[in-house]
Amino acid sequence: MAIQISLFNKKKKIRPDGLGKVTGALKYLTDLSFPGMLYGKILRSTEPHAEIQSISVDQAKQLPGVRAIVTYKDVPGLNGFGLIFPDQPVLCEDRVRYVGDAIAAVAADTIEIADAALQLIKVEYKKLPVIVDPEEALHPNAPRLHPDGNLLHRAYYSKGDVEEGFQSCSHIVEEIYELPRQMHAYMETEGGVIVPEVDGKLTVYVGTQHGFKDRYQLSRILNMNETDIRIVSSPMGGSFGGKDELNIQPYGALLALATNCPVKIHQTRRESVRAGLKRHPMKITMKTGVDDSGKILSHKVKILADTGAYATLGPAVLDFSVEHAPGPYVIPNIEIEGLSVFTNNGVAGEFRGFGGNQVTFALEGQIDRLAEKLKMDPLEFREKNLRQVDSPGPLGQKIAPTSGARDVLEAIKEKLHENTNNSHLSDQWKVTGTGVAISIHGGGLGVGRIDPAGGRLSFTKEGKIEAAFGFEECGQGLLAVIETLVMEEFKCKEDDIRIVVGDTDSVPISGSSTASRATSMVWNSIQRMKETFRDEILERASRVTDLPVNELTMGPNGIWLTDESLCISYVELAEKTLNKPLLKVETSFNFPVSPDAVVDGSHFLYAFSSVLARVEVDLLTGKVKVLDLEQAIAAGPVVSLLGYQGQIEGGGIMALGYSLMEEAKMENGAYVNDNFDTYLIPTIQDVPFVMNVEAIEKLQEGDIYGPRGVGEIGTIAVAPAIVKAIHDATGCWVNKLPVSREFLLEQMATRGEKRWV
Amino acid sequence: MGMKEHAEIMTPPKMEISLTINGTNVVLQVPPTKRLVTILREELHLTGTKISCEVGRCGACAVQMNNQLVNSCLVMAYQANDTSIVTIEGLAGEELDPIQRAFLEEGGFQCGYCTPGMVMAVNALLATNPSPSDEQIQEALSGNLCRCTGYGGIIRAVQKVITNNNQAI
Repeated sequence: MAIQISLFNKKKKIRPDGLGKVTGALKYLTDLSFPGMLYGKILRSTEPHAEIQSISVDQAKQLPGVRAIVTYKDVPGLNGFGLIFPDQPVLCEDRVRYVGDAIAAVAADTIEIADAALQLIKVEYKKLPVIVDPEEALHPNAPRLHPDGNLLHRAYYSKGDVEEGFQSCSHIVEEIYELPRQMHAYMETEGGVIVPEVDGKLTVYVGTQHGFKDRYQLSRILNMNETDIRIVSSPMGGSFGGKDELNIQPYGALLALATNCPVKIHQTRRESVRAGLKRHPMKITMKTGVDDSGKILSHKVKILADTGAYATLGPAVLDFSVEHAPGPYVIPNIEIEGLSVFTNNGVAGEFRGFGGNQVTFALEGQIDRLAEKLKMDPLEFREKNLRQVDSPGPLGQKIAPTSGARDVLEAIKEKLHENTNNSHLSDQWKVTGTGVAISIHGGGLGVGRIDPAGGRLSFTKEGKIEAAFGFEECGQGLLAVIETLVMEEFKCKEDDIRIVVGDTDSVPISGSSTASRATSMVWNSIQRMKETFRDEILERASRVTDLPVNELTMGPNGIWLTDESLCISYVELAEKTLNKPLLKVETSFNFPVSPDAVVDGSHFLYAFSSVLARVEVDLLTGKVKVLDLEQAIAAGPVVSLLGYQGQIEGGGIMALGYSLMEEAKMENGAYVNDNFDTYLIPTIQDVPFVMNVEAIEKLQEGDIYGPRGVGEIGTIAVAPAIVKAIHDATGCWVNKLPVSREFLLEQMATRGEKRWV
Repeated sequence: MGMKEHAEIMTPPKMEISLTINGTNVVLQVPPTKRLVTILREELHLTGTKISCEVGRCGACAVQMNNQLVNSCLVMAYQANDTSIVTIEGLAGEELDPIQRAFLEEGGFQCGYCTPGMVMAVNALLATNPSPSDEQIQEALSGNLCRCTGYGGIIRAVQKVITNNNQAI
């Protein structure tokens, strides 16, 4: 069973980058090599929190084959980076705050020599108290990790009066939910090659999700003009948010400039785990109350996020969590407070779902517990409190009208009916259960944030329709999206198109390839450019062919006469208009935002999902197996069928891992599981053999915003659905992810049999 | 640790190994413990074979050695001596291998970084078992991690190859 499309069956198009991927011919940036290339390695702190008393590189420098060693003294510009504010030292001078902090970097003739040189660099530390618990970090006597203290960010929203609201409630649920530190676990670790060019410029072949932002950050660090730095950022072997922030780029760049040679750095998995971002561990306290009829009256939320040692996008992630704490429900009294706190743990930052995953797990947990208390069907309870087409957004702001919440709920109701009574268990020590959850997820960076979009269409000298965007291909299928949209718009063929992405020297500013925004912004850009582009190309064709422009149309391979015959190919047209100025149409605009939002970062365009999970729980081992995972998604029209399905299924399984197996544990500031032998992600054995994705393509009449992105929405509501299914099977409520087998066994042993709702 | 010891580590003894890679005989002077994945990627520039965990857990570096699927990060040069290696670059002839075509058509990949290893694993499975059961597919591919697809597209691709094969018979 494949994807179900409500409107029409789109052809499953083969991705433009597919051939290179299945044949192994595609060069990822970590596959590149250049003549005279050196290998770089980064020395990271051994201490989670310490003063650096001295750094000695003398011995390492003498090792034959070592070509350069850089420390903080060698940073020509700002010794700091960070997407919001640059609080993370490129190379630490006097203090380290986590085990990923960089102290020195080495370039050598071989990786082995670079590794050996790292061993010879002597760093003297004076250990400082290690803060591993965000609550301790907030204590007035806790050591201050940053000049402004340990609170990175506080986000707050309130509406009505929650305490008064609770007084009118007949049932109140108050729970604490704990969410783990999840690893992105992209298969390709961070890396690439940084090449000093003969003209003094620098080319950085390293994956990122926003090339222009890397260029900006590197220019500050290197004290170079932005225009002297070129970022080539695609293709990538996965990112999921994890490569959004700078990673190895500054070290490769410093070493390349110091040696005047290309320098390759490709982190090992252990290096990647130690230095890289993770999903924020959060502790979420929720108190939610309903009246007798099942109306939610009051919702009080406190979110405590462990952001680790540095900021990166921590503040924005917290804002997102706060915004999504009310979910798709209409609640009169709300109070939400979020705190994001520095600790000496690994840096937490941007990760697919962006704070929505954690808070939705808590919220949907509340909803199911309240439904149980009310003895009401959980779907009926959701329906009763669900937002309407014109309801304001979660924080009261005006949003693009959408029936998405109701549509996904209806769709999952259907699936639930289809899914019941098909369990045939032969083992008396196994029980099954079903759970459903829904979610809302904002796209774009949100109000009050710089969030530019744009693109360029041109007709090249070679006769290609060139579509250029400042986005990156991380694997999500951006190239297929661009190709499909250009083909649909201009009725041309794959061969007629040239796509340019991921190269700051040849793409326009489109903003970041994050926040489920790229597909949406490609579509919007093409809408803005298509008429001008079509008019101009037809005008040229008319002049060349002497045919009336109103009888010409764009089509496969060239310009057609009233849809009937090809009158001039694109190649011929290009040849015959070589002396004309290049036909080029550009657009730039901002991601649409709410006109009246008062809370920074809150959104205007939302996507919705519903998830049905069916699990089998082994009563002897506590093992949970997900038998079925079905999702219904309301995110506007499907652009690329395989891409859409892949994002939802893949996101769903990433969330299955989050629910049942994944946690990047830290002990006293050090990672416990630092590779795939101990940090387990789902294998093909852990997933349902068949999954279903239903795409609800409907948009409200008059909606001008087109397809919403689906990069994140498939990850959001999976965990609460799985946990509800476990409850359905065993009667155990789980508040902590990943679900602990030991906890389940203990609960089942002490609590006895299943309770039915 | 003194410099001399390091210098010795830097210049390990080399041995001559002879092996067939994608049908071509190759003779190399390499340290005997050099990993096959490094030989493929660094010496021979066959970068289709990927590197991800380097502990034999993820399958990104999977190749076939004497028709057996191996993680090339766990094979040392001396172990590869006198063997026949097939990498992703050696799979397609004039035409794509049917497995590669099915991966393209069914969306058996996204970022593509696990794909070469995954395709080699599917190839190794179907070479010995043309009509595997669902469980056999799961077992054969359980050493190959994919973070993007959730395995849905991979499963559909493998099923398509099996169906096509059965129809051809």
